[in-house]
Amino acid sequence: MRLIHEPLSTRRQAVLGVVGVIGVVAVAELLMRTVVTKEGLPVPSRVFGSLGDLFSDGTFWQAVGFTMAEWMFALLLATVVGVVVGAAMGASKAAMITFNLPVEAFRVLPSIALGPILVLLMGNGMLPLSITVALACVWPILLNTMYAVKGADTTAIQTAESFGLSRAEVVRRVVLPSALPFAFTGVRVAASIGLIVAVSAELLVGGGSGIGGYILVGSANATNLDLVYAATLVAGVLGVLVSLVMSLIDAKVFDWKKGLAQ
Amino acid sequence: MTDTTTAPTTQTIPELQLDGVSKTYGTNLAVRSITADIPAHKISVMVGPSGCGKSTLLRIISGLDQPTDGSVSFEGKTVTGVPEGLAMVFQDYSRSLYPWMRVDKNVAFPLSKVPKAERERRVAEALEAVGLKDRTHLYPWQMSGGMQQRVAIARALASQPKLLVMDEPYASVDAQTRADLEDLLLRIQRELGITVLVVTHDIDESVYLADHIIVLSTPPSIVAETIDVDLPHPRDQVTTKADPRFVEIRGHVASLLRHKELQTGEDRP
Ligand SMILES: Nc1ncnc2c1ncn2[C@@H]1O[C@H](COP(=O)(O)OP(=O)(O)OP(=O)(O)O)[C@@H](O)[C@H]1O
Ligand SMILES: [Mg+2]
Repeated sequence: MRLIHEPLSTRRQAVLGVVGVIGVVAVAELLMRTVVTKEGLPVPSRVFGSLGDLFSDGTFWQAVGFTMAEWMFALLLATVVGVVVGAAMGASKAAMITFNLPVEAFRVLPSIALGPILVLLMGNGMLPLSITVALACVWPILLNTMYAVKGADTTAIQTAESFGLSRAEVVRRVVLPSALPFAFTGVRVAASIGLIVAVSAELLVGGGSGIGGYILVGSANATNLDLVYAATLVAGVLGVLVSLVMSLIDAKVFDWKKGLAQ
Repeated sequence: MTDTTTAPTTQTIPELQLDGVSKTYGTNLAVRSITADIPAHKISVMVGPSGCGKSTLLRIISGLDQPTDGSVSFEGKTVTGVPEGLAMVFQDYSRSLYPWMRVDKNVAFPLSKVPKAERERRVAEALEAVGLKDRTHLYPWQMSGGMQQRVAIARALASQPKLLVMDEPYASVDAQTRADLEDLLLRIQRELGITVLVVTHDIDESVYLADHIIVLSTPPSIVAETIDVDLPHPRDQVTTKADPRFVEIRGHVASLLRHKELQTGEDRP
């Protein structure tokens, strides 16, 4: 008998994954053709069928480009702010005391709710959307960086000190590099959250731009709901691709994580 | 027995002097008062029971910590920060080496202000000295414990120290590796003529390595005795350890440590 913990081969895993996806799609198709046959449901075969129309629609590609740009700018903003503030809080007591309350307060605010206010203040366009997304993304990056910097290994630090490095040099050459893989884990989590928030913010306040805007306009017209579903599907696939790319970067750049002393 | 309550350093000037060093953590008196001379160009070994404050003393010597009372001077100057010309090898090599740097980068770590060509030469020399010159492109965590500790030693050597300080450097490697690393240290010290201070709680190791032994008492610790070891060089794991002088000194250190309780707190002159 095989043990349940026994690892499966990569190939077997891939096969099982594909079988799972096809199975779910097939069951959905069957249900929507026999049991729940209401107009406007996302019948898989029709949704897939309209992918062709979607891909030949120039405005859709514009929307995808807009969302990606908005999301990437937000992630950049969140990474810079999260790493800088997180590292400062982890490395200095003064920074910790200064930023602790604001961080705790802002962290529980639903960033999406700030979207309309930002649009009001800054007008339409990408910037208020990106800031909304960044406000949701910054927390995992900031917190991961903060804890990693705070928990940097004392022996590693003392070693650097024993070679006569100043405090600033110790932070730059030892503390920050050792915290980097944890910060990146934060970026990975933030990237997925960010895409969801980006599309949601566009649905709420996007003024018709981005994938969210495309979906919103399409469903308001209700001319071709299948196109709307197809766009939603593309947004989901984008999310999967993003987290795949991030995990590839993680495996490549932070391979040395294996060597961190527990 | 070469009991040296009289000055042990008639031929050589002490490189490092501990003068009444004590350390209190909160209300815990860890080190009562340590006065000792570490002679230049020799291997001195500090041996003492667990918890007697050996690591604390090394941190104070290397300027990473301050004594509560007393002072340390290195080459005649009172130690306030990390002294120039000191390098430290820690017991815990897996934490002391940087896992994101390959071996050559780890060894080059203390040399960031040295010009590139010289830096590369010194890294190569140091790795050659510890027998790792063909392993420069591994990460430390891809190496065995003994190899990692050799990388740490190479890194210390690359900084060209006058004083090499080692805190139980071989406590977490197997017996064979330990013997190899002991011989490596003896060879390198003879070649470079540097001053070495090793901390250990292994009596055999202390006698085998030492030109000079400082035996500490149980905490709050004082110096129980200092001993000059006149065993000939080069030393050999088999013949040196069979030498009657070795056996004699070894027995003496062991009895000092066994009766350590008696010595604690006695005010020695
Ligand atoms: N940072 C610290 N804060 C409080 N007490 C400490 C600290 N460092 C060491 N001590 C105390 O000082 C005493 C000596 O500790 P130290 O680590 O120097 O001993 P040691 O001789 O190196 O022991 P071992 O052989 O087990 O490594 C111990 O009682 C320990 O609890
Ligand atoms: Mg210790």
